[in-house]
Amino acid sequence: MSLLDLSRWQFAITVIFHMTFPAITVGLSIFLCVVYGLYWRTGKPVYLQMFRFWRRIFAVGFAIGVVAGIVITFEMGLNWGPYAAQTGPIVAPIIGMEVVTAFSVEAGFIGVLLYGDGRVRKGTLFAATVMVSIGTILSSTWIIAANSWMQTPSGFALHDGQFQPTNWVDAIFNPSFLWRWPHMVLGVLISAGFFIAGIGAYYLVKGRALQFARRSVSIALGVAAILLPAQVFMGDQVAGHVFPAQLSKAEAAEGNWTTPNTGWVLFAIPDQQAERNIAELSIPCVGSAFYGDLSCKTANPPLDLTPTADRPDMAAVFWGFRAMFFAALWMFGTLFYATILRFRRKLWTSRRFHKYLLWTTPAGIVAVLGGWVLAETGRQPWVVFGLLRTSAAVSHLASGEILFSVLGFSLLYLVMLVAYIVYIVRSLRIGPERDHPDYVDRPADSDTTQVPSRSPDRIVPALASEEGLS
Amino acid sequence: MSFIWFFLILLCLLMYVVLDGYDLGVGVATLFERDRRHRREMLEQVAQAWDGNETWIILLVVSLWAGFPLAFGTMLPHTYLPLIVLLFSFIVRGISVEMASQAPPAVGWERAFGIASLTAALAQGVAVGTLTMNLTVVGGAFSGSAFGAISWYSVLTAAAVTCGYMALGYAYLKWKATGELRARAGRRGVVLAGLAAVLTVACLVAVNGTAAPLNLHSPGRAIGFAGLLLFAVVGVMMTLVTLRRASRYDGLPLAGLTIAAVAVIIALVVARYPVLAPPDLTIANTAAPQNTLIFLIVGIGLNVPLILFYNWFAHHTFRGKLDSGSGGRDLPNPGLRSHL
Repeated sequence: MSLLDLSRWQFAITVIFHMTFPAITVGLSIFLCVVYGLYWRTGKPVYLQMFRFWRRIFAVGFAIGVVAGIVITFEMGLNWGPYAAQTGPIVAPIIGMEVVTAFSVEAGFIGVLLYGDGRVRKGTLFAATVMVSIGTILSSTWIIAANSWMQTPSGFALHDGQFQPTNWVDAIFNPSFLWRWPHMVLGVLISAGFFIAGIGAYYLVKGRALQFARRSVSIALGVAAILLPAQVFMGDQVAGHVFPAQLSKAEAAEGNWTTPNTGWVLFAIPDQQAERNIAELSIPCVGSAFYGDLSCKTANPPLDLTPTADRPDMAAVFWGFRAMFFAALWMFGTLFYATILRFRRKLWTSRRFHKYLLWTTPAGIVAVLGGWVLAETGRQPWVVFGLLRTSAAVSHLASGEILFSVLGFSLLYLVMLVAYIVYIVRSLRIGPERDHPDYVDRPADSDTTQVPSRSPDRIVPALASEEGLS
Repeated sequence: MSFIWFFLILLCLLMYVVLDGYDLGVGVATLFERDRRHRREMLEQVAQAWDGNETWIILLVVSLWAGFPLAFGTMLPHTYLPLIVLLFSFIVRGISVEMASQAPPAVGWERAFGIASLTAALAQGVAVGTLTMNLTVVGGAFSGSAFGAISWYSVLTAAAVTCGYMALGYAYLKWKATGELRARAGRRGVVLAGLAAVLTVACLVAVNGTAAPLNLHSPGRAIGFAGLLLFAVVGVMMTLVTLRRASRYDGLPLAGLTIAAVAVIIALVVARYPVLAPPDLTIANTAAPQNTLIFLIVGIGLNVPLILFYNWFAHHTFRGKLDSGSGGRDLPNPGLRSHL
């Protein structure tokens, strides 16, 4: 493995790990706004309970997302020094805008959001929550602008190998940004929807905190059901606008090597050296249909149209795309069924659906990560598409240094991921009962003795008796 | 143009050192705190603020990248190892502080938080030291070796930075805590502030033996440097005198240390300007083009007052002394209070 490969692996590991958390927390922050806003306006205790419970899941995920994001910023200079020096005049100011308009806003108000309950007025807490979610949306805006510039660079001139801005509007609102940004925002909102619905379903299955669980699942699935059709349309638009600009990415994503294929490759094990698929399963005519041609005549272009030195690794691009696509189909089917159940008033009685819903918790995250693998590996071997090769952008470090950092990050991230999952499971088991404003503390901790001892693992009767959505 | 941007980067550095300085210092101090209740109080102080405080190092890094891309692309590989250790520390620190705060009791996470705070402070000190070693740059790209940047001087700066942060941390606790924790912060703060002052003087003397000696050849620089050091001495004296006192002005030690830290950093800038890193990376020969700098000054520069406001807002919301009686914040989580 070369130094380039090590640095690429390090970036892949750190960026995929990082992206997992915004895929949860961007949507969750907006969810927190909604439920706290509802609590502020209606005063219903269940909304405060929802706010407190989901805030606990949000807090740790947000912190991991922040520190893992800091790592990415440093890595641009640490592992990709020549890239930083050459693209700095354009990419860095855009990331800088992210820091001042998003990161700092989130950081400034997260303390109030997490620790302000009971210490500040409701209006202040709501405002802080809104500011945090505005920050998360703005953050994704600038990051997509910077990444889209690397996909479809514009508004620049090259001087001594350095990309220098000539037109900032063109550079920021570059051709792919306008399509990729809504695609990304919808993606993270839907993934948070499935995350919330999946965890909420746990309480439906267990028959605990039903009012809390039903409202959480109802909001999450409802929003996702509205957004997913829009996302399918946006995804198609992104493909329509990005693929013509990056033919090599489109060719690799479709999984064909030499012959144009009117079919659609469902499954393939590509062999980059031999330039063929070791195994392949293709559905006839569907590839043509994706281009809007139902007569089975329009073919997907094969990868051999791109010179060998300019080809991305097909396996990564193909499977990134398929992961996103299959996850989207899976979510679409789930939401379709959930909507039918809702209209037939069976959403809260179908226990099998609740059990199934548990398993869909990571569906959206899988789609978001798959999409990023497609976008990033599909751009290879370029870091700025068509202009700067990844191999020319890597820092000349000692192999020991990179090994140390790759292994360190891998180990730390593995530990953190396990810790976060354990934390979620633990919070899940303890449950949202203790977050209800009427919940009475265990007598050992307080001097209220009129209520008998109540284990937090048991249902709070007042909550369990409430039926359905009022 | 690049001159204006350089001062914004300097502002980020000063804000970072003071704000994250106290918060890393409080973290290190948890390692030397036996009383669990006090340890939690200290951790909760950091939990409310670390995110906002760390904004400044991100802004520092991105501003350096945007304004001086050639310096950024070579200085970071040059200080690779200490910066990687710093990132590891930030990761462990960020997760452990939230875990310990959200899901108590978490003795292991508390310990991890303290250790990561210590390694973060040490790594920053080592990184500062590496900037006194010559950068090997070939064709605009870094091409040095892994350990080439680390020298005995880094050991000295690591000790100075860590002691300085700990002194800031204790001064902060003196300001925010009450009772025994406040008294102990005063006693320990005196020792660390004195130690930090001695180590800083040692750094300033020894730096002339490295590749980045102080340039005090013109009278303007010499006078500015001496004047700023005088400020630093006054700041340290103020801290040493007020730390032990049981006065109403518990904020004074922190104010004194802030003055001292700011004065020392500006004095170093006066003595090194316009060199960013030895041998010859300067503000002029690494600056981004005009178009970038204008965008930065307008887009980012105008946002800086807002960030200062957010920092103020966050600290203002949780102003005042911690209440030791109920174990710190009025926590919404009833489970937590039972463990305090």
